[in-house]
Amino acid sequence: MRLLLHIAARMGMALLTMLSVSLIVFVAMRMLPGGFEMIILGPIQTEEARAVITEQFGLDRSLPEQFLSWLVAVLHGDFGISMITRIPIADEILRRLGATVQLTAMAVITALCVGLPLGVAAGLADSSTSVRTCGRLVGALGASTPDFVLGVALVYIFSVWSLGLTVGGYVPFFEDPLANLRAMILPASTLSVFGIALILRTTRESVLTVMTEGYITGAVARGDDPASIVRRHVLRNASLPVMTVATIYLSLLLGGAVIVEILFTVPGVGLYTWNALLNRDYGVTQSAVLLFSGVIVTCNMLVDIAYALVDPRIRGRRQQ
Amino acid sequence: MLVLLVLAGAFGPFLPIGDPLAIGAGPRLSPPSLALPLGTDELGRSHLPRLVGGILETFLLSGAAVLLTGVIGISIGILAAYLRGVTDGLIARFADVLFAFPPIILGLLVVSLAGPGTLAVITVITVATLPLFIRAVRSVALGIASREFVTVAEVAGASPVRIMAVHLLPNIAGAAIVQLTYALSIGMLIESGLSFLGLGSQPPNPSLGSLLQLGATYMSIAPWLVFPAGIVLALAILSVNLVGDGLRDALDPIEGRRLT
Amino acid sequence: MNAIVRARDLAVDYTMPGGVVRALDGASFELLPGRSLGLVGESGSGKSTLGLAIGRLLPANVRHAAGDLEVDGRSVFALDDEGIRALRRTSLGFVFQSPMAALDPTMRIGRQITLACGGQPDVGRVPELLQQVGLPKGAARAWPHELSGGMAQRAVIAMAIARRPRLLVADEPTAALDTSLRAQILDLLVALKNETGSALVLLSHELPVVARVCEIIGVMYGGRVVELGDSAGVFSRPLHPYSRALLATAHDGARPGERLAPIPGMPPVLSGPASGCSFAPRCAFADERCRSERPPLRPIGGRLAACHHADGTAPERGSGMSSGM
Repeated sequence: MRLLLHIAARMGMALLTMLSVSLIVFVAMRMLPGGFEMIILGPIQTEEARAVITEQFGLDRSLPEQFLSWLVAVLHGDFGISMITRIPIADEILRRLGATVQLTAMAVITALCVGLPLGVAAGLADSSTSVRTCGRLVGALGASTPDFVLGVALVYIFSVWSLGLTVGGYVPFFEDPLANLRAMILPASTLSVFGIALILRTTRESVLTVMTEGYITGAVARGDDPASIVRRHVLRNASLPVMTVATIYLSLLLGGAVIVEILFTVPGVGLYTWNALLNRDYGVTQSAVLLFSGVIVTCNMLVDIAYALVDPRIRGRRQQ
Repeated sequence: MLVLLVLAGAFGPFLPIGDPLAIGAGPRLSPPSLALPLGTDELGRSHLPRLVGGILETFLLSGAAVLLTGVIGISIGILAAYLRGVTDGLIARFADVLFAFPPIILGLLVVSLAGPGTLAVITVITVATLPLFIRAVRSVALGIASREFVTVAEVAGASPVRIMAVHLLPNIAGAAIVQLTYALSIGMLIESGLSFLGLGSQPPNPSLGSLLQLGATYMSIAPWLVFPAGIVLALAILSVNLVGDGLRDALDPIEGRRLT
Repeated sequence: MNAIVRARDLAVDYTMPGGVVRALDGASFELLPGRSLGLVGESGSGKSTLGLAIGRLLPANVRHAAGDLEVDGRSVFALDDEGIRALRRTSLGFVFQSPMAALDPTMRIGRQITLACGGQPDVGRVPELLQQVGLPKGAARAWPHELSGGMAQRAVIAMAIARRPRLLVADEPTAALDTSLRAQILDLLVALKNETGSALVLLSHELPVVARVCEIIGVMYGGRVVELGDSAGVFSRPLHPYSRALLATAHDGARPGERLAPIPGMPPVLSGPASGCSFAPRCAFADERCRSERPPLRPIGGRLAACHHADGTAPERGSGMSSGM
């Protein structure tokens, strides 16, 4: 019961956060050079069109009213029209979403699959000096290499020796899975390195901290074997900070996706947003910000809920 | 190594390595030589002083932004932890809202409003590091605020401001400094990322990120431009991270243990 | 009858950044099955180290330097990893200071007790254990953070006795609890010891408390057991000057739970074997021999004491010393 209440409260908070975010984006749109009409109208800047827009979006009404109607439009999937292509922004984004989702999903999955086991292993074997040094160094090094530095290096290396992978040349997965993977492996690996490092070091530290807890001593004192101690107590308790860090990774990842999509010419939302910015197609930028923020807020909420599932102490509390 | 890089950045302008902005110091895109140790770029500018200038730019911008984060974050974090209740809730939501903007994407938004440049970079770094920093400060300060000596000070009639400044602040300083180092490394990542995209400091001023972008453009014909910048950038961030690790270990060592 | 636990000249070293610290400096004692022993001493006397050593639970920076420690006839430092785990499972049960820390916050009490039983206990075993430690049946469904400190310690005790150990080691089990609960928990431990026939080693810094609860008392100082004997005897007529001082601090109106500060001087921090009696610098009767020659733990009047003067060389000045404080 408390758990359900907690989940409901979290969802409410996420909605509230999203509302604030969209308010900020809305205000940002109003502050744009050229004004709101231009973004909605695109290049068709006639008096009649202006009047229609003023009517439709109620630009003569008060700002709060305008915000509400804009919000309603956004909730209906109406982000406005691209100034360049004159296609609804929502359609443009939707068309490119697949590549970005695939890219980030591949990166996150790789980061988790590599970072988690390595982090747990490094945390458990910390009494060995070589493991300790290695774990920290890999963690620090990976977390210090900007994705675009790595991306540039990979582009350089693989444009000299292809090794079966391609730089650029994106094909949708369902057209040619093999070609798709060959094009996606490099950008996804570029994005995953930071995540691997971040998750590795957080997992390692989290495991180390949990290992000093009294219940671990208790389990050792009861003669439980190490494998079951890890399975029953260490992993569960160590997972909490890792989940928090995973959301931080996600936030950096979505930004990094822009850079990597540019570098490897992956036609995703990031590249689209970037090109739109270069073309001063600001409506697109705003919509993308809203979309990415929505993803982050949602993931944050899911992590909060997962927290409560793992740690019963959280459920009673309202914050933190 | 951090010291070396900072020194190089700080005293770079005074070193006899040439002017980072002088066009035509040598032939265009010439490979490294004795006179021009790292070669020249597309305008014939000597690359070494540009690199050194880029280090300075990266450290300065991210340092300034993180300082801002530090001041705002520490005050807000302590406030949340000490006052609890509604204030705490509001601050937590505020941090959530800031956290909802991914750094580079936020950069796109800010640039679309204010145009590219130093101000945009500092805004983006501050907004991006602030929520993480507030959370870290808050959780440490929460632990301190519930300790007896704070209660003792309250009973003795100390004002809330005094308690926050005299009792909480010094006790979270250590953790805050560690978090600030990490924020600095994230700040440097963001700064270089933004200038890589051309959204950061504007030409002709060099920044490690813009040097890298330039290098990437001419990568196939002038690879000497891209690698030093990339390596220096990674080393700079690495050294900041290692300093953070070292500080944290000194403040709060965790001993590993075995399960038998 | 063979001893359930026997230490012979046990010495262990902590490797610290500043050098080696000798935590146990030739500690010896033995305890027969089903009996209860209270080990008393200041913090730093080595009692916690000795308690942990019984289960070979010492931190990684601790080295077994000399001597031997047998539990249930097996030398704990000679066993391999699986051997020591088996010994912990079958023969030992531990209760630590902080009950809240000893419970996994992410698991219900019932599940934790089930695991402590070895995973698949008989139906009814968990309720039986809960009842034995005086917890309601419903406690099985509770999360650790929902329990009070006293209830949590009862749950920890239930886990410690889940596999019917032959020896229960309790290290200051009441230190983190309210004063009013302390007697309850100690009485529970003794009741369980009598009920299950296991032996009990209780570590504490409060001599009177231990004397009330345990049959035998071991007084620890400087990493050694300096006096060992039946509690009535030790309590009424301590042989070792340190035991006397310890008792005096309690007699002089000190409330239970107070630190034993009134003994002048500080407990020693050894870096290797002490060359003489380690209490000599704080002892009113110390002479040249005490400083140069280690007093062995020898039988005196049906007890064991490690003091050159314990057999009456200076018996009467002891009371003078306590009034002097």
